[in-house]
Amino acid sequence: MIAPKKPEIITFRIKRQDARDAQPYWEVFEVPYKPNLNVISCLQLIAENPVTREGRQSRPVVWDCSCLEEVCGACTMVINGRVRQSCSALVDQLLEEVGEGEITLEPMTKFPVVRDLWVDRQRMFDNLLRFKGWVPIDGTHDLGEGPKESPEEQELRYELSRCMTCGCCLEACPQFTLDNDFIGANTFGQVVYFNAHKTGRVLMNERLDALMEPGGIADCGNAQNCVKVCPKDVPLTIAIAKAGRQTTVHSIKRFFTGKR
Amino acid sequence: MTQSAVAPSSSFLDRHHFLLRRLHSLTGIMPIGVFVMFHLFTNMQMAFSTFQHEVDWIHSMPALLFLEVFGLWLPIAFHAGLGLIYTFNAKYNTRHYRYGGNWRYTLQRVTGILALIFILVHVATLRWRWPILGEHTPFFAWGWAVPGSGGELVPLATATTALAIQSSLLVILLYVVGVFSAVFHLANGLWTAAITWGLTLTQQAQRRWGYVCIAIFLGLASFSAMALYASVTYQASEVEKASLAKTLEVYRQTGVYPHKGDKPHPPGHEPEAVETRLIMPPATDP
Ligand code: HEM
Ligand code: SF4
Ligand code: SF4
Ligand code: FES
Repeated sequence: MIAPKKPEIITFRIKRQDARDAQPYWEVFEVPYKPNLNVISCLQLIAENPVTREGRQSRPVVWDCSCLEEVCGACTMVINGRVRQSCSALVDQLLEEVGEGEITLEPMTKFPVVRDLWVDRQRMFDNLLRFKGWVPIDGTHDLGEGPKESPEEQELRYELSRCMTCGCCLEACPQFTLDNDFIGANTFGQVVYFNAHKTGRVLMNERLDALMEPGGIADCGNAQNCVKVCPKDVPLTIAIAKAGRQTTVHSIKRFFTGKR
Repeated sequence: MTQSAVAPSSSFLDRHHFLLRRLHSLTGIMPIGVFVMFHLFTNMQMAFSTFQHEVDWIHSMPALLFLEVFGLWLPIAFHAGLGLIYTFNAKYNTRHYRYGGNWRYTLQRVTGILALIFILVHVATLRWRWPILGEHTPFFAWGWAVPGSGGELVPLATATTALAIQSSLLVILLYVVGVFSAVFHLANGLWTAAITWGLTLTQQAQRRWGYVCIAIFLGLASFSAMALYASVTYQASEVEKASLAKTLEVYRQTGVYPHKGDKPHPPGHEPEAVETRLIMPPATDP
């Protein structure tokens, strides 16, 4: 819904940080109102004329982005206290959230800040490597026909495949912190995704072994914030319960079989 | 790339991480959760006349101390110990993410701590009879044969608990907060445990199991409410009051609540010195 009265000026309170380990500080910028702005277009306007509300010359705000259509996840930041993509965060809606007040922009708090609103999401990509987030088909030999999948399996796998590694689910998770070893919801989703693939399943035991290590599935506290904030509607709570079921069965099998 | 296997030099806790966390979940359900369900069912009988009978039955169990240590104290210490670590390592964010699940998550940890405080006070007073609340301490005492009782033991399980609860708002508050915290914690714990173990997969299954957990919550909460109501409105008989007065008299003189096996009898309370006597229940223990 569009609020009836629009301001002349939009005010942004932005958390800035000059370098990785530098102290963060706040700056306020003003941008003239136009309909249908998004946060990134406002950051571009600020970059054109980086003067704070007090009239002090500053430098353009640094942020990360790529697709500009909510499929790459790079532009994720904390807007008005809530994590989301800045490319798809519409100013008209944000103004409704804050009323007459300021729109706040902060970098995500669960990843190291590189500069200003740009964070380093490497931890998520490392986890995809660690959990073998792929279907192993390397080699020159003939692999034969692809496996048959039921529509049901396809549907769940499609939903899980939408993850864009944006980090929203980790930012909102009370179990995930900047410096602990919790793996987090998106990787649980990918483990279940690749375990659900008939060929990907070859690596299932290795994935589940890793999932039982410190920081693994057992550390999820079932707050279910992850699924609420996920912009791609990845069915994370189904994935978490499935990962719980798979590790329950796996650990019982391991107990009676033993490790060679 | 991060290492995918835990190095052999890693600590015991790291190597058995998964097992320990599943044991945390398991101990919450069994034995602790099952015990709490039975315990609250017993308490509900404060509202009826069968409470004393239940208490006597528990006291007549063989190897009671063994059952207590391995069935209750160690599991509770384990569950509470790990629970406290989880509680203080979380990064709560209900201010920005006001979802029902997030509130339940936070409440699970708050009620865990409240239940822990309550359990400690509850066991210290009623089981170990530490008189930490002075004369307001709910304690368990064997009865006295007082004039009017026909020389019979006056069982005091209901009376001592009820009168202690009536004696101070603090004790009522302790019991209301403690018991309802434990009930919420158990019901919500059963809901999350079903996800943890992988029983409830889909949202629909989780919702259905949620209704069951709400029913468990309401059932246990009403048992507790009945017990508390019965305690607050309990009217002690004259004989019970006399027996209790005797107990308090001994407490004032000695600082301890008289109990089976207490030796020596406080001065002036040697069995032959007074016509009211502390009666030992018939020796059923081995
Ligand atoms: C009244 C006795 C208690 C009962 C019946 C009980 C029961 C439970 C149950 C069934 C769970 C669910 C486990 C799961 O999600 O898999 C649980 C979780 C939990 N309990 Fe308790 N508990 C009790 C006391 C405590 C105490 C004293 C603490 C200490 C603060 C505590 C802290 C926790 C925490 C933090 C969790 C969440 C664990 C997680 O989700 O990973 N509990 N409890
Ligand atoms: S699961 Fe959703 S919130 Fe998490 S990284 Fe993937 S797209 Fe983002
Ligand atoms: S369910 Fe809760 S604790 Fe588990 S990953 Fe999601 S937000 Fe984190
Ligand atoms: S720029 Fe790709 S999601 Fe926003």
